[in-house]
Amino acid sequence: MTASFSESPRLGGTLVWYFTICKREVWLMARGVEPDRDDEFLALGRLIDKTTYNRDRHCIDFGNSKFDIMREEKGTLVVGEIKKSSRSIDAARLQLAHYLYELQKNGVEARGELLFPKEKKREEVLLSEELKTHLDQVYQEIIAITSLESPPCAKKCKYCRNCAYNELCWS
Amino acid sequence: MGKTLYVLSSGELKRKENTIIIEGLEGRKFIPVETTDEMLIFGEVDLNKRFLEFCTANKVMLHFFNHYGYYQGTFYPREHMNSGAVILAQAKHCLDDCRRLLIAKKFVTGAIENMKKALQYYSRRGNIELDSIIEKLTVFSNYAKEQIGISELMGIEGNARDCYYTAFDLITGGGSFSMKKRSRRPPQNRINALISFLNSMCYVTTLAQIYKTHIDPRIGFLHETNFRRFSLNLDIAEIFKPIIVDRLIFSLLNKKEIQAKHFGAQSGGGIFLSEKGRPIVLKAWEERLNSTIEHPRLKRNVSYRSLIRMEAYKIEKHILHDEEYQPFAMRW
Repeated sequence: MTASFSESPRLGGTLVWYFTICKREVWLMARGVEPDRDDEFLALGRLIDKTTYNRDRHCIDFGNSKFDIMREEKGTLVVGEIKKSSRSIDAARLQLAHYLYELQKNGVEARGELLFPKEKKREEVLLSEELKTHLDQVYQEIIAITSLESPPCAKKCKYCRNCAYNELCWS
Repeated sequence: MGKTLYVLSSGELKRKENTIIIEGLEGRKFIPVETTDEMLIFGEVDLNKRFLEFCTANKVMLHFFNHYGYYQGTFYPREHMNSGAVILAQAKHCLDDCRRLLIAKKFVTGAIENMKKALQYYSRRGNIELDSIIEKLTVFSNYAKEQIGISELMGIEGNARDCYYTAFDLITGGGSFSMKKRSRRPPQNRINALISFLNSMCYVTTLAQIYKTHIDPRIGFLHETNFRRFSLNLDIAEIFKPIIVDRLIFSLLNKKEIQAKHFGAQSGGGIFLSEKGRPIVLKAWEERLNSTIEHPRLKRNVSYRSLIRMEAYKIEKHILHDEEYQPFAMRW
């Protein structure tokens, strides 16, 4: 397909998250090809999102991103990202760092917290210079992937088994 | 994946808080909306706008059938899998004669391939008269590959199907279910009524599966798109009719589960599957759709119903220039 989109992709948290997991997902998601809604893992994720940390504020829209939780703690802003499991912790760290970076670009300094309610676990994420350079690189690569005419070929990886795109990729 | 609900009785369909209620002479029935994907409505039911809104919010599709079991139409909830890129690519493949023909040919050759598979099953069991029909189908399939226009291709498809239908009497043994020739609108005998009924089941099932993907059921490739009706589901159903519909018909008749008494005559002429026959056929149909086969690429069991959705995914991948479409071919 010839690139008929003049608008560059919205660099939201999901794209950054997918980037660590699967490049093909990045392409599909950027084109609005969303994963299977019936997927049970997605349903579980939605449920966890709905039923945990109910006292904190949920779903705050900021630019192209959506923060799960936002609160103030001793004068600093804390952005929380809730995940089902820590299996893809690297992807989660990058996603949260991306949020912090976006906030910083808008003059807001914040601290990040990854939350794994099922595992009763949390991890702090701070935006370092190193992470920022890495993210700048990631943004470039995401734009390069999304401007490809066809999606990167499906390649089996450890995430395929529980992925909501698996019936699309391997049909 | 949610369930399919078949409403055979008459009464009222309502929303009660967040549950579907069917209220009829036999009392009230509660149906959880979260686990319902589609409803096939055969009975005379009353419903209101509030109920339709509830169905839209929960992405529940409603298919309506008249007194004779003929398909009347679908309440198709608002699209929820929106991808501009996919719609544009699909329209582009439909408008480009060359690209459209390529996909349309796959539907025809894929369908013929599966017709052969359906017949080969009985040929292996000693019905050698079928072999000449199988050979003819191979000729039609090769002929289809050479066509350069959609209408010619449709013609070949029709001829192949006529030839294929001559096998039906050989498999079922004729008798009170002798077919002689395929007739529609209205079907002139019992087997034609059964084929028409189950074909429409196949069309609505395919439509409901396409709804779960990003492609648009109004843009077909083999069947003409005219935006007044769905056509892509007809295309995709071609692949599955021989495997799911026809094999089910053979099994229902050979096991004598469906008999002459399950049919009635229409006042304006024609034969239809009666209200007594419908539940038997629908139960068998639902069981068939839920039965599984091992998927060679996914390496796990998938139901025929999921297989239909995956066929829609394959079309989606084809139009996105990801992977060339190869129609599903039954392996045995």
